[in-house]
Amino acid sequence: MAYGAFTNFAVEAGPTVHIKPQTLFDINGWPITNSMIFAWICSFIIVVVLIRVARRMTLRPKGGLTQFVEAGSEFISNLLEGALGSKEKALKYGPYFATMFFFIALSNLLGLMPGVGEALVYHDQPFLRAFTADLNATLAISVVSLSLVQYFAIRESGFIKHLRHYFAGKLWNPLTYFVGIYEVFGEFIRLFSLALRLFLNIAIGEIIITVFAYLGKNVAPLTDLPFLILELGVCLLQAYIFVMLSVTYLSLAIKHSDDSHEDKEDVKFDSLTEMAVSSSS
Amino acid sequence: MLYLSEITGSLDILGKGVMMGFGMIGPGIGVGLIGASFMNAVGRNPEAAKYLGQILVFVAVVELMALLVFASLFIIK
Repeated sequence: MAYGAFTNFAVEAGPTVHIKPQTLFDINGWPITNSMIFAWICSFIIVVVLIRVARRMTLRPKGGLTQFVEAGSEFISNLLEGALGSKEKALKYGPYFATMFFFIALSNLLGLMPGVGEALVYHDQPFLRAFTADLNATLAISVVSLSLVQYFAIRESGFIKHLRHYFAGKLWNPLTYFVGIYEVFGEFIRLFSLALRLFLNIAIGEIIITVFAYLGKNVAPLTDLPFLILELGVCLLQAYIFVMLSVTYLSLAIKHSDDSHEDKEDVKFDSLTEMAVSSSS
Repeated sequence: MLYLSEITGSLDILGKGVMMGFGMIGPGIGVGLIGASFMNAVGRNPEAAKYLGQILVFVAVVELMALLVFASLFIIK
């Protein structure tokens, strides 16, 4: 009976669905929302844990938390190596993408913890809200990611060459400019689709969990269990997909810069194979 | 006597239902095609199973449309 009373207590208010974060208080006119407080907690945990792990790093993994962080960063560096083509580039761009992966994964997973949402209340507003369940947050993350991609691409190939990657083709042809403007527009579509994908997956996962907890009434934990397990998968998958897509954009932006070299290599390879074929026959 | 003008209710609930129904058709077909071609590829060449991670990325790209439809439920008033 006590069990039923607890779930009844939680469910009594009906499903409350928030798409936006709530403002808790102002500091000099700057609104501080509940998702910002959650983000501060998350970044504090990330900084403390990652610095501790980095100091404890040994050649033979000791186990504990270190091995999970090692496995995650190795996973990301393998992903980068596959997409960018060399170990050097993977180690060069690895730190940013690995940090992004851990931050997004941690803030997604902590969003499922009890206490996030309606449980803790400050002036009738929920005190904590998952950071990635806030469109401003995911927009900020993707703006940072894609600006860094642009910066890396410009550093790798020079400004003019990077611009030519959008406006490829002959300069007297007006079609070049139309295609170029379309490509630049596509960059903004990428930005919004990255932000919306992360936000919608997490926010809608929360809504689905809330709705099924409401429908379950007294057996809410049972009806919620499948969706919670699904959300655990989705949280890690979305962090992976965000990093994977931004790495793909980076590799696209970098690869175009040395297309000419690749062509030459291809030609060389073709002539070599032709020579080999002709000599053997 | 039945007067049609006396039927009251809100059409936005009907609209939401129609939107969910039609909006989920496209992403459903898309995810199905991706899964089918992945299974085809694995059936032909079992070593292709290692590309599951990249398949999930494409699933996420298609899934965005379904999520947009779902999110519109809460935006439409």
